[in-house]
Amino acid sequence: MTSLVITVTETLRYRGALGQWSWMLHRLTGLGVVFFLFLHVIDTSWAVFYPELYVEAIAIYQSPLFTIGEFALVAAVVYHAINGLRITFFDFRPNLWRYQQRAAIAVLLITIIICVPVFILMFSHVIDHYNTNPTALPLLQVIGSQVPFLIGIVVALVAAIFYSVIHGVIAGDTTSKKQNPSGSRIERFWWSYMRISGVMILPLVFGHLAMMHVIQGVFDITAQNSVVVGTNMVNQSGTAVEFVANRWNMFVGGVAIWRLYDFGLLALVVVHGFNGLRYVLTDYTMGSPLLRRAAIYFCLMGAIVLLVLGSAMLFATIDSAAIEMAREATENLHP
Amino acid sequence: MDVTFRIRRYNPESTTNPKPHWQEFSLKDVAETDRVLELLHRIKWEQDGTLTLRRSCSHGICGSDAMRINGRNALACKLLIRDVGEKVQIEPILGLRVLKDLVVDMEPFFEHYRSVMPYFINNTPVPADGRERLQTIEDRAKFDNTTNCILCAACTTSCPSFWANGKYVGPAAIVQAHRFIFDSRDQGAEERLDVLADPNGVWRCRTIYNCTPACPRGIEVTRAIGEVKLAIRKGSPEGIINVNDIPQHT
Repeated sequence: MTSLVITVTETLRYRGALGQWSWMLHRLTGLGVVFFLFLHVIDTSWAVFYPELYVEAIAIYQSPLFTIGEFALVAAVVYHAINGLRITFFDFRPNLWRYQQRAAIAVLLITIIICVPVFILMFSHVIDHYNTNPTALPLLQVIGSQVPFLIGIVVALVAAIFYSVIHGVIAGDTTSKKQNPSGSRIERFWWSYMRISGVMILPLVFGHLAMMHVIQGVFDITAQNSVVVGTNMVNQSGTAVEFVANRWNMFVGGVAIWRLYDFGLLALVVVHGFNGLRYVLTDYTMGSPLLRRAAIYFCLMGAIVLLVLGSAMLFATIDSAAIEMAREATENLHP
Repeated sequence: MDVTFRIRRYNPESTTNPKPHWQEFSLKDVAETDRVLELLHRIKWEQDGTLTLRRSCSHGICGSDAMRINGRNALACKLLIRDVGEKVQIEPILGLRVLKDLVVDMEPFFEHYRSVMPYFINNTPVPADGRERLQTIEDRAKFDNTTNCILCAACTTSCPSFWANGKYVGPAAIVQAHRFIFDSRDQGAEERLDVLADPNGVWRCRTIYNCTPACPRGIEVTRAIGEVKLAIRKGSPEGIINVNDIPQHT
């Protein structure tokens, strides 16, 4: 913990080159996106498993607090993606390091150039929504609904520390064995994975953002009788559950393309995100074998939960009964 | 010209102030061509004899006087007042235990240095003529830049990964390893790449680039680390460095 405090305060004090600030931003945006990913995969699984809860979750996404968060999320994803390209490029072409400072400025400029029109389009959705339907869930309800997530994170942390203690009792605290060839192969694999998966995620995540936040906004998910983005189907009930069902039941040549798309995005992003979280957490816990192991268990648990839950929802079917439940829940939400 | 120095002081044996604290010193008649090290000497000799710092050759060769000057690592003997301005802030380098004032415990740094086997390894018999082992000009150029290291620790202690985790082998040790890994006459590359493939080896580098401008010897530190990463990924240093990419130093 002290190493985290010293590193944060001294990074703010050290007059490093631009690369230092790019690195801080990369970490902060990464942490923010992983946190939202955690909420988002669990929320979305409710479309299949708890239709009433999903209706409420989307209503929460449509609240002002989450609208602000949505803008921050889009900016964070765009910056993290473009800066990730910069890191990947200079990692594979180390001899071109003289251009990294200019590249760091270019990353900021490109982020702004992408975000300005995107924000204008997103903001037009916000204005359209409040012109026609100015109701929003109360702030307290929005915040209150996030409490279970925070409790979940705390429980996972406690469990991770518990596992780490058990691990320590069984295997002993000898983490710093000299020379660990299998460990080194693993780190080499992760270094390559982060870069290759990052490049693969980029088109998938930009497509996802374009569909769900720009072309149609989060408000269109509950628009009655509108065509669902990426499909030729109409959301007749105007429920968020039917929106998801329409997308996932869109077949092209016998393939449920959006299930496949979402699965690819989910698998790549969850592993990328939680390995990134492991990098951040273990960087600051190398002094304590107990906390270091706990950090690894925590990331492992998070990745497994999201992968299992996400795969389960992507292979499940949404029937008409679920849409009917969602319709009733929507009516109860806005009587 | 008048110059103000703000120096991070620490003396654990002091009875009056055993905690780290800042102390200011004013100096008169300073020329803009005076070096920071000379002015530290003037403070020590004229104002406060307890000020403790390391220095030896005073000419940027021995690597003793690395410190954080105005927020950035440098050698005090290589910076002139006109480089740093009239207000100068001096701190010890970060990530190594401070012993007194600007003196830190360098032993963990040298331990990392030793871990990469920083010496020539070649167990084949010497050439028949008993003279030197030859290599081409191109092969020599591949590691020319990393031979410049003077082990001052300015790069390693500018690295946020090292601040966070003192077990990280650090930029300087990787530079030293680079000098031998890419030497065509050396045969220890495989062992060194193994050492650096450890979780606390090169993979702790997050490509932040603080180390490159910190080097007082013009070593392209982040580049060297990147080349070692690629060599580990490939399993061999062969074909990683293209001689045409190396800038011509005059």
